[in-house]
Amino acid sequence: MLYVWSISVVVLCGLSFLLSILSYGDILRIFMDLGLVGIEASGLIVLMLGLAVTYTTEMDQKAIFLQLAKPVTRGEYLLGRILGFYLINALVILGMAAVVIFLVVFIGGGQVPALFYSCLAFILLEMFVLNTLGLTLQVIGTTMVGVVLYAFFAIFLGHLIGEIQWLLQMQLTPLIKGVLQVVYYCLPNLEIFNLRDRVYDPTLVLTWAQWQDVLLYTFSYSFVVFLIGWINLEKREFR
Amino acid sequence: MGNDPSDPRVAIKIKDLSKTYKTGFWFLPKVTKALKSLTLDIQEKQAFGLLGLNGAGKTTAIKLILGLLKPTSGNISILGGRISDRSIRNVIGYLPELPYFSKQHTGRELLLYFGSLHHLRGKELKIRVDEILELVRMTKSADQRVSGYSKGMLQRIGIGQALIGKPKLLICDEPMSGLDPVGYKEMRDIFIDLKKTGTTLFLNTHILDEVERICDRVGILHEGVLLDNRSVPEILSSSVPVDYWVDVDRHEADKLSGMPFQESIQKHGGVQVASLVLAETLSLLTVRKVKIKSVRPLSSVVEAYFLKTIGMNQYLNMTLEDRP
Repeated sequence: MLYVWSISVVVLCGLSFLLSILSYGDILRIFMDLGLVGIEASGLIVLMLGLAVTYTTEMDQKAIFLQLAKPVTRGEYLLGRILGFYLINALVILGMAAVVIFLVVFIGGGQVPALFYSCLAFILLEMFVLNTLGLTLQVIGTTMVGVVLYAFFAIFLGHLIGEIQWLLQMQLTPLIKGVLQVVYYCLPNLEIFNLRDRVYDPTLVLTWAQWQDVLLYTFSYSFVVFLIGWINLEKREFR
Repeated sequence: MGNDPSDPRVAIKIKDLSKTYKTGFWFLPKVTKALKSLTLDIQEKQAFGLLGLNGAGKTTAIKLILGLLKPTSGNISILGGRISDRSIRNVIGYLPELPYFSKQHTGRELLLYFGSLHHLRGKELKIRVDEILELVRMTKSADQRVSGYSKGMLQRIGIGQALIGKPKLLICDEPMSGLDPVGYKEMRDIFIDLKKTGTTLFLNTHILDEVERICDRVGILHEGVLLDNRSVPEILSSSVPVDYWVDVDRHEADKLSGMPFQESIQKHGGVQVASLVLAETLSLLTVRKVKIKSVRPLSSVVEAYFLKTIGMNQYLNMTLEDRP
């Protein structure tokens, strides 16, 4: 994980520097924008790599047998893995954020806008949802490749929820509308966590109601996904 | 289907346990009966060995006992309760075949982790880990990463994590798998010590020597069916025919002209003799002043009993080169 993080930091800095030379934009603003992208990307990379590696050890090499033979319920096992994964992910994200802040403040001599911290908090909440979804897919899935692919497409389509919402408003056949509705409600709405484009927007003020909506969505979606994973794990047999 | 409360002196009570796997497409399922109506009682403080060829259903039986698989039909009771009870799992230790451990951790860290799953904490946990490391002879290598462990060391740490919760019942699947002679002896000594402390042992194995030395009772599983279940002393005193190989120098064949085994001695340097006529044969060779190099059984009693029970009599008393 440390290697992933280090590479992400180097790539982020190099890319920011290159873009600042090529563009007419404010270097600090570019750094901030790319920094937020890098923070989220590093969290996603850690999650996907973690899912792939731990699927191999837990399921293929059957490390899970030792855990489930202990006085631990399957729900506790799943919850423990979700929280453990999330802790690592959160540490990586906070580490990246510290690097971005350091580059902006101490190297660039600029200021970090207040919205940056809200953005960071939203990224942490988004990662909580994605970690829960990823670990649930891992206990449901039957192959490592399948788990990683499903997780990847869930994340990809989760960022296109706005487009799916727009499609639902069009005149479509009931079948297609039904499928889109299933996709809309099943996939995580990752757009509600997206504040990156508006970090420098002086008109944006996050109200407590908006915070409540995001927090409620995060924990209710995660809870439902966790329940699905738990029920599945209780029924699963280990040949 | 399910588990029944039962006599607590029986560690594992299995009644009519069956497991069927369905694979393939939903419209063309392939059905495999891994276990067929297994009924078995294992008494507390007993060492029970479940023998069988590869694919006999031994690992399936263990997974059903531990709740990793759900039975198609039948009942299982463990220490008077159900495997779904946390309190029952707290007093069971399990060592799977070729266990996987995180390579980044040390042996001590692994035991601390597994000990915490048994709700051990703080000083109590540290003391218990030290005891286990001493028991499995891993104190010197405790702070070395698992990536540097040999197979024998991995098995010992595996046994360690199984024993960390002071189990009343220890279930091991092929515990001697992949071990060298030293590792084999160390594991055997651990099992014998555990027997003395009153731990019930359930060992899945196809190593017959292990069964003879460690187990009190043996069950033979073949193609999902329990063919036999008897005590080791009963087996050892049974009249299973065992042939012997009498090693004789080829040059001695000249002294045996006209005897039926002259050709065998000329060709193979020895003769295969049934146990019933061994004494007579040796006497004959002695009278003819033939030098006998050695006399050895071609099968152990347990091996002979096992082969006979599973209906593979054709392998009984067969030398290695003769086996297909």
